[in-house]
Amino acid sequence: MPMKICAVLRVVPDLVEEIEIEETEIVPFAYIANERDEHAVEEALILKEKAGGSVDVLGVVDEDTASDVDEPLAMAYAKGADNLIKAILSRKTFRRYEVAKGLAEFLKDKGYDVIFTGIQAIDAFAGTLGGMLARCMNLPYIGGVVEVDVQNGTLVVKKELGGGLLGEYRVSTPAILGVVSAERPLKFVPFAKLKKAMKEANIDEVDIEVPEIEGIDVLRYYEPPKPEITLLEGDPEELAEKLVEVLKEVSVL
Amino acid sequence: MNVLVFAEVVENEIQEITYELVGKAKQLGDVTTLVVGNADVSNINSDVIQVDAGEPLPWHYKIVEKVFEKLKPSAILFGNTLTSIDIAAQFAAQLDLPMATMVTDISAKDDGFVATSLVYGGKVLVDLALKSPAVFVVNRGSFPAEEGKGSVGNVEKLSLEELGVSDGIEFVGYIKPEVEDVDISKMDIVVSVGRGIGDEANIELAEELAEVLGGVVAGSRPVIDSGWLPKTRQVGRSGKTVTGKLYLALGISGATEHVEGVKAKNVIAINIDRNAPIFRISRCGVVADVLELVPVLIEKIREAKG
Amino acid sequence: MDVGEMLETYFERLSEVSESERYKQCLQCGTCGGSCPYGIASPFTPRRMILALRAKLIDEILESGAQWLCTACYTCSYRCPSQIPLTDAIIPALRELSLLEGNPPEELAAALMNTARYGNPFRESPRKRDSWTKEVEFEVPLMSKKKEADVLFIPECFGAYHRRCREITKAFAEVMYLLGVDFAILGNEERCIGDLTRLCGEFGLFEDLMEKNIKTFEKYSFNRIVTHDAHAFNALKREYPKMGFEKEVLHHTQFLFENLDKLKDMFNELDYTVTYHDSCYVGRRNGIFEEPREVIKAIPGLRFVEMKRIRENALCCGGGGGGVWLDSFIRNFLKERPAEDRVREAASVGADVLVTACILDVPMFEDALKVTGLEGQLVVKDISELVLEAIR
Repeated sequence: MPMKICAVLRVVPDLVEEIEIEETEIVPFAYIANERDEHAVEEALILKEKAGGSVDVLGVVDEDTASDVDEPLAMAYAKGADNLIKAILSRKTFRRYEVAKGLAEFLKDKGYDVIFTGIQAIDAFAGTLGGMLARCMNLPYIGGVVEVDVQNGTLVVKKELGGGLLGEYRVSTPAILGVVSAERPLKFVPFAKLKKAMKEANIDEVDIEVPEIEGIDVLRYYEPPKPEITLLEGDPEELAEKLVEVLKEVSVL
Repeated sequence: MNVLVFAEVVENEIQEITYELVGKAKQLGDVTTLVVGNADVSNINSDVIQVDAGEPLPWHYKIVEKVFEKLKPSAILFGNTLTSIDIAAQFAAQLDLPMATMVTDISAKDDGFVATSLVYGGKVLVDLALKSPAVFVVNRGSFPAEEGKGSVGNVEKLSLEELGVSDGIEFVGYIKPEVEDVDISKMDIVVSVGRGIGDEANIELAEELAEVLGGVVAGSRPVIDSGWLPKTRQVGRSGKTVTGKLYLALGISGATEHVEGVKAKNVIAINIDRNAPIFRISRCGVVADVLELVPVLIEKIREAKG
Repeated sequence: MDVGEMLETYFERLSEVSESERYKQCLQCGTCGGSCPYGIASPFTPRRMILALRAKLIDEILESGAQWLCTACYTCSYRCPSQIPLTDAIIPALRELSLLEGNPPEELAAALMNTARYGNPFRESPRKRDSWTKEVEFEVPLMSKKKEADVLFIPECFGAYHRRCREITKAFAEVMYLLGVDFAILGNEERCIGDLTRLCGEFGLFEDLMEKNIKTFEKYSFNRIVTHDAHAFNALKREYPKMGFEKEVLHHTQFLFENLDKLKDMFNELDYTVTYHDSCYVGRRNGIFEEPREVIKAIPGLRFVEMKRIRENALCCGGGGGGVWLDSFIRNFLKERPAEDRVREAASVGADVLVTACILDVPMFEDALKVTGLEGQLVVKDISELVLEAIR
């Protein structure tokens, strides 16, 4: 059963570089593909290998980050994605629900059998995209996905439950899947192949109207207080007692 | 105010984070805990609504919706776990409720709430104002579990039929890890040993410490290479990355290759060498002989736990 | 790729490397496999690789993983009677096919992707490349401020970021400072010199790094480059000229030797026994054998002893050619690391200190000390650390 597959690909601040923390906003130095979304793209390509069909990769950006997704999209193309779309949000928002509503409007009549998203992003503090998108589109959703197969037209999904335990689920299509990690390591793309893909790949652009939904606001951003490094010395009895206190502080005890 | 806690249940057992949520919720108002499945709820220190619906599934947001209509809670608390977050996000979207994720603190303010979230890989805290009713997805270990434990109040049992819900996702079964070993990258508490522990016989000491802390033993590469621990327990570049709550490093110097695999929230290091680089990434460093200190530490932890 | 495409891609790459036609003259003598630190474990030694290539069984080599069982130590190339460029061409071109298939060993893949994105394999910010300069008590001049200097010093990635290797960078910089050398660094403008990418078959990335580095070099006026990184030295000396870079390049052992008269006046007595490890890209590949020995022997009080396998026959530390990132992969084939064998050898000749001259050696050997239980008995020092200790 050939499938029409979509994978959402967002960019997030690159934490290898400095980020500036201002009270009202975060100013990153550079953006990078959201790691979980890279796994979502990979899993989408794996599902295409298994079931046949096509993979569209939907880069989700705002005006400021629009060009930052070009390389990650080209990377997906070099790995075998069929179509690249850049969805440009009409405004910046930290509210995932607003993004979900905007994207749902665009995605609803595209006829995708499966839409993959990464399970989380480092900048997500107000909602998660996958589950919210599912409700905006009235589709079933399951997150924590680490493997997807197809049996008799139904998706058979493995979900991570923590501590190495997996759950297996049957999911009818169309559906939205939140990927935690693809079932194989991300495919390596050599430099020359990526540069070639960047020249050759065609990226369609669409504008996404982001609706305004009230109920949650940012009061301030700030740096977490640095944990103090204390070097303890003394006799074992005394040290052990101090350690027990520290273990309580970090709520291990 | 009414507060609803969604219990974290895995393999029909209430998980520790549930008690952490209940403890916090009790500071906010009158608590009801919603438990999906037949787990033993007797230790939950609140009223309970228990729904006989097998293991928690993503579409159980519909159950939360029904209970929400019944209780009209001002705050709904979920654990930040792969099971609960599926439900929380769909529930919030379905009811148009504001939702905060990665939450480490919640307080009531005016008619609503202020929540604190830890984002950008732990580099940034953000304070959020949410209107009531609001949904909170709370990080593990943010609140003490003791307050949430006790004897259960009123337990109301509901069946799925009474709630009348279902969806396109069906649970087939659990798959236990194929490797017989634990995945150290997913463990909350890891006691890790380096060559500084002396010789193989002393691994037992680390294992005893891990046991009293409820964690597992891992090691640096030289320890794995010496065959003292299996390869599955290796932390570092050529091993696994630990991301849990505590990394307790015993006699580990902290080579670059090792430190790359240490992303736990709290690192405590015990090393005889006060210049050991591991101290630079430690919240707390102890300059001591591991073999002298650990036996005493085990005793003290046992005492503390009662 | 099917086998036909693989062979076509492979031989096209091979044809770009001079002397690569020599593989046709392989005598199947087996000297390469007998010389290889991993020969005993490899399903395809260089000899068998060439045999398989002739039989169009290239896919079998790739599936076996043998292309990654190489630390680019250059012993096979050095000893090959037909002078086939095994290290520089036969193996990297096979590795390139693995990269094109998208499935190199994971740690190495990460190192290569980081190098492409950040200009270093460690996933560190390029803006922190000069951070080591803040840990020394003298000023390290920046080219961007100074514009010209006699010596351009290249710390390279390990020397700039790796916690242990930074100590070597600081030591060598201090030696230059104490000698009154007119030197400067590129600081955060520097990026990976790229010998690792070349030896791992990431040719596109290597070319890009060369282009960008040369462009940076051209902004400033200097007479020569000095580096303590043996692989950077090798690439700058042998590969960069192919892209039109023509400045003199010195390894720090050569530079220390050049300044030996001045150093002799500054040396204090040291009282222990040392041995010297001939690093692959200092010794075997680039013929620098005497200079480091002369420097060591000139330090009063030191007792110098030789190991058994020295000069062209020295055993590799296992870190080169991507070896640093292939450890867990190689461990699936082989139990003992070459570095462990080597530190045992150093200890067996009664050395207190093992002196090295390639920046990869120090972390490789220090790790091996822990595994072999020789920690406390033997100490590893780069030659610049030894010199600094003697003149401080």
